[in-house]
Amino acid sequence: MTHFRLDVSRVAIIILAISLLVLPACSPGEAQDSSQMDSYTIADATGDWGYPSPYLRYSRGPGYTRMQFIFETLVWKSATDFVPQLAEEWEYDERENAYTFKLRDDVTWHDGEKFTAEDVVFTVDYIKNHPDPFVTLIGPSGIKEAVASDDYTVKLYLEQSYAPFLNDIAGTMVIIPKHIWEGVDDPKSLTGPEAVIGTGPYTLADYSKEHGTYLYQAYDNYYLGEPVVKEIKFVRISEEMIPAALEKGSVNAGDIPPEVVAEMEANGLTVITAPVAWNAKLTINHQKEPLSDKGFRQALACAIDREALVQITQRGHAIAGSPGMVPPTSGWYNPDTPQYEYDPAKSRQLLEELGYRLEDDYFTRDGQQLELELIAAADYKEIGQFIKQQLEQLGIKVDFQTLEAKAVDARVEAWDFDLSIYGHGGLYEPSILKRVIVDEGFNSARYTSNEELNHLLEGQLSEMDPEKRKDLVFQIQEVYAEDLPALTLYYPKWYWAHDGKVNLYYTRDGIASGVPIPLNRMSFVK
Amino acid sequence: MLNRRNLVTYSIAFLFILALNFLMPRMMPGDPLSAIYGDEVLVAMAPEFKAHLVESFALDEPMWRQFGAYILALFQGDMGYSYYYNASVFSVIIGSLPWTLLVVGSSLVLSTLIGIALGIESGWRRGSRTDRTMLAGLMSLNGFPDFFLGLVLLLVFGVLMGIFPLAGALTPYSGLSGFSLVVDVMKHMALPVTALTLAHLAGVYLLTRNTMITVLKAPFMLTARAKGLSQRRLKYHHAGRNSMLPVLTVTGIWLGRLVTGALFVELVFAYPGVGYLTYQALLTRDYPLIQGIFLIVAIAVLIANFAVDLLYPKLDPRVSYAH
Repeated sequence: MTHFRLDVSRVAIIILAISLLVLPACSPGEAQDSSQMDSYTIADATGDWGYPSPYLRYSRGPGYTRMQFIFETLVWKSATDFVPQLAEEWEYDERENAYTFKLRDDVTWHDGEKFTAEDVVFTVDYIKNHPDPFVTLIGPSGIKEAVASDDYTVKLYLEQSYAPFLNDIAGTMVIIPKHIWEGVDDPKSLTGPEAVIGTGPYTLADYSKEHGTYLYQAYDNYYLGEPVVKEIKFVRISEEMIPAALEKGSVNAGDIPPEVVAEMEANGLTVITAPVAWNAKLTINHQKEPLSDKGFRQALACAIDREALVQITQRGHAIAGSPGMVPPTSGWYNPDTPQYEYDPAKSRQLLEELGYRLEDDYFTRDGQQLELELIAAADYKEIGQFIKQQLEQLGIKVDFQTLEAKAVDARVEAWDFDLSIYGHGGLYEPSILKRVIVDEGFNSARYTSNEELNHLLEGQLSEMDPEKRKDLVFQIQEVYAEDLPALTLYYPKWYWAHDGKVNLYYTRDGIASGVPIPLNRMSFVK
Repeated sequence: MLNRRNLVTYSIAFLFILALNFLMPRMMPGDPLSAIYGDEVLVAMAPEFKAHLVESFALDEPMWRQFGAYILALFQGDMGYSYYYNASVFSVIIGSLPWTLLVVGSSLVLSTLIGIALGIESGWRRGSRTDRTMLAGLMSLNGFPDFFLGLVLLLVFGVLMGIFPLAGALTPYSGLSGFSLVVDVMKHMALPVTALTLAHLAGVYLLTRNTMITVLKAPFMLTARAKGLSQRRLKYHHAGRNSMLPVLTVTGIWLGRLVTGALFVELVFAYPGVGYLTYQALLTRDYPLIQGIFLIVAIAVLIANFAVDLLYPKLDPRVSYAH
């Protein structure tokens, strides 16, 4: 889900919301009563996400979502847990550091060939030679070797202990048919109908790049039985018009802006909200005086009222940020994380301990007035203004500037800033913590000076015991919140509305490695 | 006509545009990798994969070598390969171009014809009630941007009255063909074309009306009247034709924007045009695609200029003696 949005569309959404409220609602679509629904239409503002084949889909979540109707993984996830898919059962052997998968013997590819362990071994080798943006099989998350011990048993030897293996690899890596991909040197050159032969419940009937539309047809020989809908369509509709299309009944499901949630519910549509997966952060240049001081950063945290920020800048459609980054709705959330409740008096006290004195409404030290520069993309304008106002109220002068998003990234990457606002997703799986706390890149805090934290971040990645890993993730939140190299401000809420004909749900920790879109293919299978 | 001097001028302009097309996208902050992979860089991009991409996009080559390769390929008719769409730039643009030409072209023709007709009538009757009503009505229309008109039309005729579809260029997977497909496409283009036409009508109208008023005062009009020509002939043949010169210039400029001129309207109507493609290409820093689109725009501008150059002497022979 992108956060780029033309200001135009904001105005449009508000106009639309008002008009939907004021004017009489249109009649809903006609009900269908046959056991297998003829067709189900999904509206989407972005449309084209590439040919739904492993190497031609576009790299981000919506591209994967369009592919998962056709291609399947060894294990999969329901709303609550891991579930068998191509593998009936699996087992981890700690001594050998290997997973053994027992495969189903009744699976066929869409062209009628039988699916076997050879296909899995082939897929692993193929991805190692042709990297895939979603699945990294080289390095810490890598597979050393894949061995088929018989037609329906495959053993994957890991490079290292890798805790999120089921989620990130076994549950994300789609298996491709050996008999088709064998001999294909450039995976992007396979563009015909054979590139979309998978094992999933649907086959691709049509795809149009310029119209951004997809048509899927039920695969009747699917091993879990006939899918519940004969045809699935993806159509492109601008985000302002999706609510109207839902009300008219011309589409069955689509994502909607928070402003129209109440209206959708009043019209009998089912609204579902995703477990939060994305956060906006106050990025702090912890390499630079005075921000390099932990006490100073804590003073900033106490001076920003995150609850008020949610109410004012997000009109309440968000959850206030936890300084431990892991959202309160997550199973990995540590309730003992220091929260830094809004407390300007505490902030003042912390600043005074650092030698600052209030003079003419602003804090001063050694004759120098305390002034910070805050840079952010135009998307974060309201949030920036809110923070500026709160810090100035406290006594810190703030020079707030909005820049083009990529220009902000470049300055943050070069440490040429004091404060910045930035957002990223992927909060479902704790492996994100290492990437955004210590790893390189503008989107990471690059905070490597706390040895204990480094150790914990490494440790949780290789801890194969879920309970012990949870304990490590809990500790990370406490240490991270104590040090505050960045401060999570809020987690926005995302909504989808649908007519209830198919039971849509959000997958536990997102589809595959963490896509927060409620279109799990299993919703369309009995 | 196209003489040698003209040819040289056009070639220099073209080469200059090519260089700018190449440089400008690369001067935007940010790089295509983080733009294409976005937030998911965090979830996905391993160093190995990043290196693989940098290599396959040739982003590690020095700028002048990238430019050399681009020019060389271009002269072989190869516009490059889109990073984001995983397809040749030509095939990506050619998929969207007809739809844009359909919508923008129709609205260009409509707004020009209606604008000129109204402008002539209005200027001819300057100060009358008809003139004042038209002037006030079109002036107020002039203030609205095209996407806003589009939204209002969508709300009224799409959402509330349900006469016209809400999005797209045709009903996807409706199984229509032949005449009913044409009707479907027409229904989908009705609102975007209306929005664009209304937004640009006022400009053409005001220009024609103004020139008309000036032309009416010209001595040759007095002569024409004195010769006892009919009102009709005076209005259209003498005054009207002479009022079209500035309109032609404006339409020529507009024609150059044919390709990207409907960006906002295409967004509002989710219409599959080049404007939407441009928006997407800019967001993802898809250099080859941006270059390709701008190249087409540049060619369109040059052709439009050339066409205007050709048409001018036909409308007003005095232009050819000016040299």
